[in-house]
Amino acid sequence: MFSAPDSYPIDLPTFHSRIDLPYTLTPGKAAGTFLAEVKNQRIIGSRFASGRVVAPAQDFSSIDGEEPEAFVEAPHTGVITAFTRVDGNVIGFIKLDGCDNEFPHKVLADMADVSIGLRVKAEWDPGVEQSVLAIKGFVPAPDAPTGEVKPVVATEDALGVIPYEMKLDFYHAYGPYYGRMFDEIKENGRIMGVRQPGIDSALLPPREIDDISHKRTGTWKACADTGTIRACSIINMDVYGVTRKVPYVYAEIVLDGASTRMIHVIEIDSLEEAKEKIKPGTRVRAVWAEGERQGRVSDIARFEVIEA
Amino acid sequence: MSRHVGIVGVGQTHHSRRRTDVSQAGLVREAVDRALADAKLSMDDIDTVVVATGPVLFAAVNQPEKWVVDAIGAQNKSVVRLTSGGGAGFAGALAGYYQVAGGFSERTLVVAYDKLSEGQLQYSISTLYDPFWGREFAVGIMGFSAAYWRARMDALGHTEEAAAMVAAKNRNNAIANPYAHQKKQVTVEDVLNSKPLCWPIKLLDVPPISDGAAAIVLASEKVAHHSTGRPAWIRGMAYCCEADNAAERSLMLSEPLAIASRHVYRAAGITNPRRQFDVVEVQEPYSCFELNYYESLGLCAPGEAAELIASGATQLDGDIPVNPSGGCMGANPIGAVGVIRLIEAATQVMGRNETHQIKDAKTALVQSGGGWANLRGCAVLSA
Amino acid sequence: MALDKVGVVATAQTELRPAWGNAQHIDLISSVVTSVFKGTGLSLDDVDFIIDSGSDVLDGRSISNCGFLGALGAHHKEEARVEEDGLWAALYGVNKIRAGSGAVGLIVAYSKPSESNVDLYWNAQVEPFYQRPVGFGQRAANGVLAQQYMADHGLSADELAALVAQRWAAAAQGGRVQIDAVPDAAAVLAAKEGAAPLTELMFARPVDGAVAVLIAREDVARRVSRNPAFITGMGTSMATHSFATRDRDRLVAAENAAKMAYRSAGWDKPDAQVAEVSSSSVVGELMAIEALGLADRGKGLSATKGDKVAINRSGGALPADPIMATGLVRLAEASRQLSQPELNGSSGGAAPSRAIVHGAGGVGMQNNCVFTLEV
Repeated sequence: MFSAPDSYPIDLPTFHSRIDLPYTLTPGKAAGTFLAEVKNQRIIGSRFASGRVVAPAQDFSSIDGEEPEAFVEAPHTGVITAFTRVDGNVIGFIKLDGCDNEFPHKVLADMADVSIGLRVKAEWDPGVEQSVLAIKGFVPAPDAPTGEVKPVVATEDALGVIPYEMKLDFYHAYGPYYGRMFDEIKENGRIMGVRQPGIDSALLPPREIDDISHKRTGTWKACADTGTIRACSIINMDVYGVTRKVPYVYAEIVLDGASTRMIHVIEIDSLEEAKEKIKPGTRVRAVWAEGERQGRVSDIARFEVIEA
Repeated sequence: MSRHVGIVGVGQTHHSRRRTDVSQAGLVREAVDRALADAKLSMDDIDTVVVATGPVLFAAVNQPEKWVVDAIGAQNKSVVRLTSGGGAGFAGALAGYYQVAGGFSERTLVVAYDKLSEGQLQYSISTLYDPFWGREFAVGIMGFSAAYWRARMDALGHTEEAAAMVAAKNRNNAIANPYAHQKKQVTVEDVLNSKPLCWPIKLLDVPPISDGAAAIVLASEKVAHHSTGRPAWIRGMAYCCEADNAAERSLMLSEPLAIASRHVYRAAGITNPRRQFDVVEVQEPYSCFELNYYESLGLCAPGEAAELIASGATQLDGDIPVNPSGGCMGANPIGAVGVIRLIEAATQVMGRNETHQIKDAKTALVQSGGGWANLRGCAVLSA
Repeated sequence: MALDKVGVVATAQTELRPAWGNAQHIDLISSVVTSVFKGTGLSLDDVDFIIDSGSDVLDGRSISNCGFLGALGAHHKEEARVEEDGLWAALYGVNKIRAGSGAVGLIVAYSKPSESNVDLYWNAQVEPFYQRPVGFGQRAANGVLAQQYMADHGLSADELAALVAQRWAAAAQGGRVQIDAVPDAAAVLAAKEGAAPLTELMFARPVDGAVAVLIAREDVARRVSRNPAFITGMGTSMATHSFATRDRDRLVAAENAAKMAYRSAGWDKPDAQVAEVSSSSVVGELMAIEALGLADRGKGLSATKGDKVAINRSGGALPADPIMATGLVRLAEASRQLSQPELNGSSGGAAPSRAIVHGAGGVGMQNNCVFTLEV
């Protein structure tokens, strides 16, 4: 069982990493049509050959995957069939009048005022398009007359893509091995690994168990901030999220004293020159960033070639 | 004791740079419908389903099989997701193979897809790197792939031209592929003159970015004949790995692929791969990888891949055609590619390949893989 | 053609903790991979393949298995990542051995939900056009189930809270879950609202941890293990994605999975003395117990009080839910109870011979997997 020494601090900082990406998601014909039509405050549903009607519209039946035969327009009124409250917001399942399915949406009411069978109607948010949240939610409407499902003659074109963002924050544990490595970088400006089992060369990054032999690794060892390129390529294209000016060299570098690679960059003036000058076997040294060290790999700003 | 497993139905979408008419789930449905129709089956006949896709970050749906299940009408069935980066489709097919071989099912549907137009491909792939150690310098997997190709060139005396020959061969083969979307005649010169993206990788060494799905139906010997009189039997299949940051990792050869192929060749009775295979389908995320595979799969001796491609042996009319379908150069919906390669090889041994049927093809080799070039597998199919 | 029988020969797990603040994923993984061989005479060299479960979204890393291969002991071996609960990884491993491809397989599942926002993990599982924007996710699904279950069967929040307290006490006694203070029923009721009518403590508590299960072909299993539990039946079933379309008074997919498992085991009824059940909330656990056939509809609670079947002697998923590993922990717990009945405590009676193991995944337990174990 994993155990850290008793002297190891319990209340450790974590390493923050954010993954934040834009997407262009395609909703497909049914959802794409529904989302296109919300600006007209129409609720588009689907009718299947069996006569079953669902809203919002679906390309495939959630019962058996059957494809619908036509779009319909569903009424804005219905009943609550189930509900709960999460983080203070009431979420209910709505069954629109004339439809056979239920779907989750926000219920804009105090939960004390919500009950199964409660009649509700859609409240629209005119400021929102291309989202199911164009319906802000459903509000109690005890006296609302029963609506009807209507055929639709024509609809807006289905939306081909809708923008989406996924933002995930992570707070990764350092653990004793990364913890010491980054602490040494920060405090002493040196890169330390642990020896491979029975061998003097060090694994970077360090870890308790060797990847290859699955044996316990050895003692700590300081590696140099000079090393040899094991492999490298010349980056000459823009990639989302990378602000570095191209061209530059992506390099996998084995530091002196280490046996495994460190990934870093080398700045270059020209692609053609770099092809000749920077290659596997080329000797390089770290160029440390100016200012206070943060305890990260980026405390090394870049590597540079050691001229012969 | 293993049961024989055959591919009895195949289906793939007409791959495209961007499909704005179907959702991810709808894309999967198209491939499934085609595979089921090809196998003369309906979803009712399927015992279990395997869904395979690339990483979640490609398209922002976590565990997407739980959404896709509705679109393919597989509600209440056994459904599981396999993922293995670029090798996801192959890894999924292997899981399906064991479901049938191990008696868990008689018929298993394996469907693999990626809808890469929906996300940021290279950034997503960069998150493969350790967030503490190297991610901020990652350029997808392209920077890495180019780096180790360069190392191989230096060590072996290969030139950029060898990979350019691969790119030109596959691109030109893809022109006849009805499912490909990148179809433009190119010459070796064109490839060499194309823009360096991550040198030595150049624009035309790189496959397109695609939306696509592919599905196969696997069946036991007992029920295979309901679908076809000529299944593509899986004679051996394996998928191996290596730790990514090993001290001695040179990537001169793909060791996991070499290990997998030894395993598979033993099972399939392959002792002379160059002679015994009629056709080969490999997953080449960049053209340079195909050269590495030639050697790792034993199609030529270590270090001789450049000579092999230059000899013309892997061209359509060579003695060991590789990627008559065009490989990834015609379409590259990453997570689906492993299944696409299986389909292309299966239809060869079934005698009904739609791109370039190799005459009398009886035994085919399929390779696939993913990750940091450290997840690699292969399979042998025969009629 | 007779298929090879597969046994569980050893298990290892880290303590399950709200946060392993001083350990990385690889530390937890390599720890269980190192310790699982103890007492078997086997080593990593004897392992033919590794199947693992984890989540890129929880790990903050794409193709996360790829970065953890060394810790998994997978270098130069066959490896597969099943992105479902670890019980599905075990299912894969059993199929592989039954197919004759290998004699010894290592199954590993792990998670560190403490490193990210678990609500986002669940929310990202629902389709992005209709359900995700309105905030529908794991909590809402369980809140809705609970509303209906309590109304249909006249269950009070007090009764649910008492079961939660019982589960935490069991986990504390088992010693494999970090629990600073066992909540009593009053504390469960007084906890913050999770999704009405459930309090946060009525939900499965996400914890960090890893588990490894070593499985082997019958001849190997008998050689290296004193009393191995054999996996005799397996079943899985996935419900529709549309939670609102599912039956809300039963877990149909869990019923299907159980039927399939019992049928393949040759059981005509769920005749077991041990059951280890996964759940996302206390009501989910009751419904799962019913779906497994261990109680009639609405009678799950009484089954937890009976002495016919020891249900969740380990405490189950409520005090400790290492998402992606929870079902595999259940397999480890159940196989220990069969193989080493002397450790079961004061339950008395004959040693148990049969167990039911349940794993689940997805919002509102959309996906379900059931194993039968026998010694």
